[in-house]
Amino acid sequence: MVTQGVETYIRLKFAEHAGLTDEQLFSDDVTLAAVISRSPKMTNSIDLMEAFARTANALRKDYGVRVRLPALPLDTSTAAVLKVFLEEFERAQEAAA
Amino acid sequence: MSITEASTGTEPSSTEPSSTRPRGAARATEAPAIITDLYDAVTKRGMSLVDVTWEQQRLHESRRWSVVEMLADVDLDALTPVDRNLVWNAGRAELTTKPGADRLERQAEAECRRWQEKNPAVASIMEACGTWSRYWNEEEAHHETVFNRLADLSGMEPISDETFIAFRQVFPDDDMLRTLMLLAISEITAAVNYGQCQQVVQDPGLRRIFKQVAADEIQHRNYFIAFAKALVDSGEYHAKDAFAVAHLFLREDGELQGSAREQKEDRGTHVNWWDHLDTAETDYRPEALEKKEQLICGALKKITGIEVHSRDEVEDTWLDLIGS
Repeated sequence: MVTQGVETYIRLKFAEHAGLTDEQLFSDDVTLAAVISRSPKMTNSIDLMEAFARTANALRKDYGVRVRLPALPLDTSTAAVLKVFLEEFERAQEAAA
Repeated sequence: MSITEASTGTEPSSTEPSSTRPRGAARATEAPAIITDLYDAVTKRGMSLVDVTWEQQRLHESRRWSVVEMLADVDLDALTPVDRNLVWNAGRAELTTKPGADRLERQAEAECRRWQEKNPAVASIMEACGTWSRYWNEEEAHHETVFNRLADLSGMEPISDETFIAFRQVFPDDDMLRTLMLLAISEITAAVNYGQCQQVVQDPGLRRIFKQVAADEIQHRNYFIAFAKALVDSGEYHAKDAFAVAHLFLREDGELQGSAREQKEDRGTHVNWWDHLDTAETDYRPEALEKKEQLICGALKKITGIEVHSRDEVEDTWLDLIGS
């Protein structure tokens, strides 16, 4: 299933850019604020924004789909962010079709 | 003076090093100006930190004004509810500037030491920035006191010592280019807001205060742009970081619209004034978002040399610069 493959891809890319494992990122309702404090690569929300942007760029490069993320409060969970990413991906894919 | 006039009427010009002037000249003849091409001045034109500091001092002295005299010209009985609310918000916003300046001084000092062996030109730029922060801090003291004293005199809700101390929390450190870009945008935001206030208020004395403070903020923006440009010119700092901060502010529901957001961020470390704008019952917000967007794009052009015209172009360029 395409979406499942994309979900795995997004998780992998985001973990890579955050310098954390999949488990550290997506278990126990981890919030974006927690990601910033746990990540060895992040100082603040600008680094978080860049990690999302790099993930979006990778999606564009490997899937040809441009995803734009809205501004998200720091108490948003990573699971919710992943959901937004996938919804935006599907929307952009449909728009391009 | 409108913000447009303030931004075009006070544009800095390049300044030559004092070594090119006749020796023994105790009185400078050129008009004081911001050194807009600082990296070039340090690496190619042989400007020393003494030269740079002299130019900073001359400009600072030429722009001084008196809070006491300005306040004396305000007719307190003529102030409208909107006037009073704008003054009250401005006073609270200005309270958060001192910790920004304190942070800049500390960070510039640390960065200067970090670069001293590796790249002495960057160390000089950092030192010039840290040295200038004292002028910035002093000028912002005028803004804070003029608005808070006026709010106090006109019977607005007083600022408790607890709030005062909370608003003084020092901002966390960050990459220096990102810090300078954020400060440039903060000055743009403040200048445009005060320009908007200037159009709305009725009392001529209060109008002069908003005009003066807006002009100061434009000067500060120009300094931040000059320091940020020097870092990019050095090749040690990447343009992507200036774009990242611009994107943070300009994106949909970004920081420029912070005060209008339903959810306020609880940072726990410092106070951002745009999270605390309170329109009370006046329902007036000095937004002018298009003007701010235009000025932020202009700052990016001066700092990085890359021309963009809208928030979408800022995002596209930022994405291109960071890659995957």
